[in-house]
Amino acid sequence: MMDPFNSTILDDNLKELQERLGHSPDIVIRRIKSITTQVEVAAVYIEGLIEKLRVNEFVEHAMSFDKLSEEHPVVKSAEDIFLYMKEVARGIGEEQTLEDWDVLFEALFSGDTILWVNGIREAIRGNTSGGEVRTVSDATTQVAIRGSKEGFTESIGTNISLVRRKIKSPNLWVESMKIGDVTQTNVSIMYIHGIVNDNTLQELRTKLQSIDIDGILESGYIEQFLEDTPFSPFPTLYNTERPDSVAGNLLEGRVAIFVDGTPFVLIAPTTFFMFLHAVEDYYQRYDITTLIRLLRFICLVISLFGPALFIAILNFHQEMIPTALLINFASQREGVPFPAFIEAMLMEFTFEIIREAGIRMPSPIGQTVSIIGGLVLGQAAVQAGIVSPAMVIVVSLTGISSFATPAFNMALSIRILRFIIMFIAAFMGLYGITIFTFILVAHMCSLKSLGFPYMSPFGPFIAENQKDAILRVPLKYMKTRPRLISQKNNTRLKVNDGKPGSGK
Amino acid sequence: MKVGWMMRSFICICCLMLLTSCWNSRELNNLGIVTGIGVDKVPNKEEYHVTFQIVNPSSTATSAGASTGQPTVTIYSSTDRTIFGAFRKTSKKAARQMFFAHTQLLVLGESTVKSGIDGIFDIFERSHELRLNTNVIVARDTEASSILKLLLPVESLPAIGIIKKSKNTARIYGESRDINVFELINGISGEGSVVISGARILGDAEEGTKKSGMEQTKVKALVTMSGLSVLKKGVLQGWLDGPLARGALWVQNEINETSINVDSDEVKDSIAVNINHSKTKIKIELRNKVPVIHVNVVEEGTLSEAQSYIELSNREVIVQLEQQVALKTKQEITQALQAAQTMKCDIFNFGNELKRINPKAWETVKDNWESVFAEAEVDVSVEAYIRSVGMRLEPKLLKGK
Repeated sequence: MMDPFNSTILDDNLKELQERLGHSPDIVIRRIKSITTQVEVAAVYIEGLIEKLRVNEFVEHAMSFDKLSEEHPVVKSAEDIFLYMKEVARGIGEEQTLEDWDVLFEALFSGDTILWVNGIREAIRGNTSGGEVRTVSDATTQVAIRGSKEGFTESIGTNISLVRRKIKSPNLWVESMKIGDVTQTNVSIMYIHGIVNDNTLQELRTKLQSIDIDGILESGYIEQFLEDTPFSPFPTLYNTERPDSVAGNLLEGRVAIFVDGTPFVLIAPTTFFMFLHAVEDYYQRYDITTLIRLLRFICLVISLFGPALFIAILNFHQEMIPTALLINFASQREGVPFPAFIEAMLMEFTFEIIREAGIRMPSPIGQTVSIIGGLVLGQAAVQAGIVSPAMVIVVSLTGISSFATPAFNMALSIRILRFIIMFIAAFMGLYGITIFTFILVAHMCSLKSLGFPYMSPFGPFIAENQKDAILRVPLKYMKTRPRLISQKNNTRLKVNDGKPGSGK
Repeated sequence: MKVGWMMRSFICICCLMLLTSCWNSRELNNLGIVTGIGVDKVPNKEEYHVTFQIVNPSSTATSAGASTGQPTVTIYSSTDRTIFGAFRKTSKKAARQMFFAHTQLLVLGESTVKSGIDGIFDIFERSHELRLNTNVIVARDTEASSILKLLLPVESLPAIGIIKKSKNTARIYGESRDINVFELINGISGEGSVVISGARILGDAEEGTKKSGMEQTKVKALVTMSGLSVLKKGVLQGWLDGPLARGALWVQNEINETSINVDSDEVKDSIAVNINHSKTKIKIELRNKVPVIHVNVVEEGTLSEAQSYIELSNREVIVQLEQQVALKTKQEITQALQAAQTMKCDIFNFGNELKRINPKAWETVKDNWESVFAEAEVDVSVEAYIRSVGMRLEPKLLKGK
């Protein structure tokens, strides 16, 4: 919908601009009167979004006709000035003339400087964006011992460039769009042309275009719109703040979704096992990586079933525990007034409180929380005879295990499910746990992430993708990319007949 | 009214929760964990006197709370016609429901064994809680309840202590047999007889039930493994002791490790040989309706101690020792076989072996097998090897004495 400037008079236009922006004080208007022609010119920009030097340079260049020497072309009227400015501005950056309020605002809020000439209906924009942004710093949520330390920042341009530095290929394509009626947030999708799965890409484009919301403040908004099954406890999109992780996934044929204003980049399509992988897996040797992946898997199982199994066995299947251990448990539980389930719930609940409080606390107070939580509650609860020491062990082991999952959002899902399973264990024992696990696995197999099966390569079973799911075979043997339904360019490395050293 | 699928499934889930009625859920502090069961026969009555040894968790070693100062186990007894009846009757005395899945030990009183044990095991096979791997011993010259009442040093749970004694003896000395309910039921239902380890009380049985009796280095009463009881058709026939017991186990191929003293040139029984590997093979055939039993033992051992001088660097001396070991073994085996034949009890399962290899011949002797067995010819051959003499060669200190 067009909304053109109404007037050719500068004052009217500036007045309208200020009215439309509610006289916000960060809108800066510099009025300049040309000495030679006495035509008024105004430069408009927003404080904080621009780089002062660049604005000065731009304005200076645009006004460079205004000198009392004869070297310059003769500029006499407003039209002449406008044409001259257009010419000059083109040399500086992306030059464009504006005649529409919507386009003007968009330019203004991206950090452009707008030049108006009195008597001309159009305006000129010049890219002067800059200002304070966070510099590239360490990735804080996904730490790796070995591997690049850099993490994404809040600026989408920086983020895209970080990936470009890793993949220097003309086939690294970026598509941009604006989502959010009010926020007008820049969203870019990045993929490697020729490797990416086109169906996925098409589905992603359609889905992104159909998002109709007033604002996108974080990639989480996009994630929630892209999910096929919003009621599933499992996340179906992976997010990362590491450029190397994005690069690795692009090379596997996936698509990255950048959102301006957040360091978290979404990756689609996602499989369940991606949440158990860390980028470092590919930097360390394959043997230790495979073992660590197994460990993570075991930790996931512990954090999901730990307290539930304990409750079930203690309440229903006492015969399963070795005699000496049973007597040990019995002596610990002597004097504990609650049933095992209440005891476990009490401890888990306490643990959740400590965890939640710990996240929101300012870091100096954070330590106090851990001392009160760990020492006072844990130790005192046992000594007071409210919970048994074995339960404290089980709950802490569960807690620690849940932190061993590299992806925080997956750990959150497991956290919710843990309580459900505990509840089932308390009234149906191992039988209930088994039934629930069946349902859970069936549900997971039904999930899809942008049309790609979530549990792949196990459901459906894809033999060639097994080398990078729970196992991680040596890179030398990972000759093909993981198969994503239909994919064109599948060869990852060309080994000379597979014999090391035969190439000379 | 239209009910949505979510509402419907919600109602279903609610119903499920109500319908399960927390089936079988039992808290650990409401269970009396039974570690030992003793069965005695009430004299002149068809009734069992059943004794339970129950763990007292608050006074076991790991107890976190304040110790109550009570003994680690407590005993309840009930008398009833059936064993299950006695189980349930005990609820009048015990504060907690008894939990049998961890029963480690079944003690059969001498009175029970004398009158027959066949009736006892039905509940072991029928109940889902009682286990077939419960170990069995026979109380010798005493009642099962007296054995279960004793507190033992070192092991805080007496039932587990007794089992460890039995297993230990069976493993390194070989006069006791480690048998559980499953094997026992197989033995009773087979053709032959069975042997069960015996245990007796040394010392003052009454003092041994008190915790104060434990507060000294030499405790006032102790349970010791003692011989093997021989049961035919579930009824006690007699006891095998010492070398006889070991001989019997040798034939049954139940010897893992044992120790034999043999003679040196001058001094009798002065060389100790530790047998650490032994394999017995049985062959049986019927010659003119008389069974001929071939027992072939191959054993290996190390020389563990010498109490008189012996020239161990000489190969021939070792060979002589090996022959003596073989001879001693043969004597023990022969004695055990003779004892079994005198009792007319086929404790070695020769009958089953014959049935397996020659069913037709078995049919002819099946009906009076026990007396046929008593007449059987026995052929024992033993091969013994001494593989090592330990970390010392000749006992120099003893030279010339």
